Amino acid sequence: MILKNIRIKNFRSYYGETVFSLSEGLTLVIGGNGDGKTTFFEALEWLFNTTAEDKKESNISAMRKSELEIGESDEVSVSITFEHEGEKELEKSYTFERVSADYIRTKDFKFIGYEDEGSERLSVKGANLLERCFDSFIRKYCLFKGESELNVFNNDTALKTLVDTFSGIKQFEDLVSLTEEFEQKSLNAVNKEMQNDQKVSRKAKDLDSRLTLLNRDISDCKKDIATQETAINDYSVKLENLERYQDTSELYQTIKERIKALSEKQAKLKGMIYCDYNTNLLDESWILRSFPKILNEYQKKSSALSREKRKLEKQETERTAKEEGKREVIEQIQKLANVAVPLPWNLPDKETMQEMIDEEVCKVCGREAKKGTAAYEFMENKLNEYLRHIEFEANSKDIPVDEKKVLFPNSYIDELHTKQIQMSGSVEQEISNISTEINDRLVFINERKRDLEKINKDIQDAEDEKNRLLIQSPGITEDLLDKNFKDLKGFIETKSRAEKRVVELKQKLEGLIKDKDEIQAEFNALEPTNTMTKVYQRVHTALERIMKAFENAKEANVTTFLTMLEEQANRYLKLLNENDFYGIVRIVKTVDGSARVELRSENGYLINDPGGAQRTTMYMSVLFAISQITALKREQDYPLIFDAPTSSFEVYKEDVFYNVIDKIDKQCIIVTKDLLLSDEATGQKKLNDDKIQQLTCSVYRINKAPNYNPLDLSTIKTETKKIK
Amino acid sequence: MAAEKLYDLWAKRNPQWETRYEDSIIKQFCEYGRGATTMRDDRGKIFGAGYEIFIVAFFIGLYYNQKRPLINDNQKCKSFGQPIQFWGNIDSVKGRKAYPKLREYIFASLVAKTDVDFIALEKDEITARKAVDMLTQTMEEYANWGFNFIADKMIDNPNHFYSETAFLEVFLSFDVTNVINEEEEPETLD
Repeated sequence: MILKNIRIKNFRSYYGETVFSLSEGLTLVIGGNGDGKTTFFEALEWLFNTTAEDKKESNISAMRKSELEIGESDEVSVSITFEHEGEKELEKSYTFERVSADYIRTKDFKFIGYEDEGSERLSVKGANLLERCFDSFIRKYCLFKGESELNVFNNDTALKTLVDTFSGIKQFEDLVSLTEEFEQKSLNAVNKEMQNDQKVSRKAKDLDSRLTLLNRDISDCKKDIATQETAINDYSVKLENLERYQDTSELYQTIKERIKALSEKQAKLKGMIYCDYNTNLLDESWILRSFPKILNEYQKKSSALSREKRKLEKQETERTAKEEGKREVIEQIQKLANVAVPLPWNLPDKETMQEMIDEEVCKVCGREAKKGTAAYEFMENKLNEYLRHIEFEANSKDIPVDEKKVLFPNSYIDELHTKQIQMSGSVEQEISNISTEINDRLVFINERKRDLEKINKDIQDAEDEKNRLLIQSPGITEDLLDKNFKDLKGFIETKSRAEKRVVELKQKLEGLIKDKDEIQAEFNALEPTNTMTKVYQRVHTALERIMKAFENAKEANVTTFLTMLEEQANRYLKLLNENDFYGIVRIVKTVDGSARVELRSENGYLINDPGGAQRTTMYMSVLFAISQITALKREQDYPLIFDAPTSSFEVYKEDVFYNVIDKIDKQCIIVTKDLLLSDEATGQKKLNDDKIQQLTCSVYRINKAPNYNPLDLSTIKTETKKIK
Repeated sequence: MAAEKLYDLWAKRNPQWETRYEDSIIKQFCEYGRGATTMRDDRGKIFGAGYEIFIVAFFIGLYYNQKRPLINDNQKCKSFGQPIQFWGNIDSVKGRKAYPKLREYIFASLVAKTDVDFIALEKDEITARKAVDMLTQTMEEYANWGFNFIADKMIDNPNHFYSETAFLEVFLSFDVTNVINEEEEPETLD
């Protein structure tokens, strides 16, 4: 299938009819942003879509729509003329009509193909013609929007589809299953006959049951191998990722350790600044901060009371001492010459004493005691003492006994004084220190709060740094970094265990297959008596060999196909990367039956994550290879249509790319904004004529018609100019 | 038998406060009337037993040296369940420390601030009971003034005392100089 021209009519920005004539090699459609590049590509996508009758209003040219009067109509259409076993045409269209000022009706959807038969031009169903000449499998490998879609092996069934479609294996598959069925049926027939055969029946039954067991073991063993291989593959991917993100991980761990250390400090500081200011008033006696003044008042009062009490006590003592003094004098006088103990004060009595004084004679000793003598004076004193005693006794009858003796019966002042002493010295000092203590504590807490603020900020900074790191490592999550690096050793161990296990299982499988072959041989060697059984046996042997031949052929076909694909891909890769490193493309069949495109260096080293342009050329090489093989297999070529495939290329690479692709013998349509020069002053884009002159391909320039209103879609129209 | 000490007689007392402060202040800041076993922290109160806010109110009155007689109506006054001798024995409460010494300082301040004729008391001319009545009254009047102070602040801003340092700040506002004991200024030379 070679495209000859593409006509686009009233499709979005393509106002009126626009025709692109295509060369058999490369055709470049060059335009800036918004000039209609993607619309060109999407017009083709719309044409090639066989799944829906899509006549939506949004595909109608806004400019054309705005011109329509009520009742007027026009059509949207996209058509291609192409060469595929004769010239053919494919057209998709629908009519649109203005029904009212704000309503456009779409109708008459048509999808028609035309082909020449002899001299007649026949119209056929568009979808049928498309499937016949450019089927959906081929289209999958022909139309690509952007760079990201270039990896056609990005889903599980891609390889199988490719192999099925292009390798001719499909026919093999039918044959393989057919021969397998024959083999199985003949085997069953042989087994049945053998078991019925008199001579070998027992032996046959025994071998058959052993075969059944072995078949089960072989199937189990194959399943185990598949499981282990999947595991190895999984762990390989995980380990590759870990290796790729090793630096990220190390940095992540450092940041995490820093956060941990800071968090510990934070917790400590939080503990330090905790203070229950209210209960400390009581528990830590902070409420006594202003108490020294009151304590002083108490001490002064208590001291004054104590002094007052002592003063009063002293006065009392003095008074009683005086009384005591007088008595002592009298006693002194009354002292007897011989220091004998005197008589009690009431002996002799008052009358006797008075009589003896009056008569100037001592009637106790019978001697004279004339007035003026010592004896007379003694008697007078004795009488006075008697009288004083009488008088004192008479007075003391009015006073209670206690008070008579004690001035202060209570000792509360002493209690207060004792407390005063207890509250002085070190205790008093403690209270005066409370103010300083509170102050120190508040200062300390404030300082720690400042420290905490700083720590909080540091933690926030570290968290930010961690997040930035994660943002810069797409596909890597915190969880993965936390978990997987802890599991690194486990991954390696599991992988190596699985690898060992696969080797063991493969050995086991080999043994089992050998056993099976032996038993089968033994089975085949049985010599039944019945000739019919012998016939069955030979037929089965023949069918079994045929089946194996087909199986091997199928496998060889796939391998050949992939090898060929690889060879072709590497040829294109080399071309596309002239004067640059390009490596070797490998198409690896994975255990799940899919394929992976890898880039390796010559020594077999895997190039992880190749750069943008490298990756694009790698995938593109595979696409060219597929197209090449398709052409060989089907004896038909197909166009490759790309929308902006080179956005990650630098200018030099771009030039090489276009120069190479210009000379590739293959129909290619590339819609791009490359090869445009920008006027720095006006921002206007113009074609890089020098470069274009070097190319041999067809070139179209598309751009928005000037004088449009940037706010009004209905003033936008794509203009097309064929440059060469 | 020796006569009981004045301090002990006083400590057996149960000072009164005006019932109007029960809901507006005591229950706001203390676990008063809610059962003794529940932890303060569980309820989010600033203080524990009711007497704690009474002590705070007392010291506020004391440091401002302002007394306010209790309303002359026994119906409108109330006392706590615990006499003074048990105040501050809260070792068992989580996160708290006992403060029995504080009682002694309260007593000392009452002696300093109450006009009791201690000589007459010593001579047995007035009874100890009468003296303790006077001390307790001083205590009640200082606390009553303190409660009034707190209530006033809360009228202006109901959340005034709910900041973590609010009560401490009241006490930080008081002078710490020992005014009574201050030494005379040295005479100037001119």
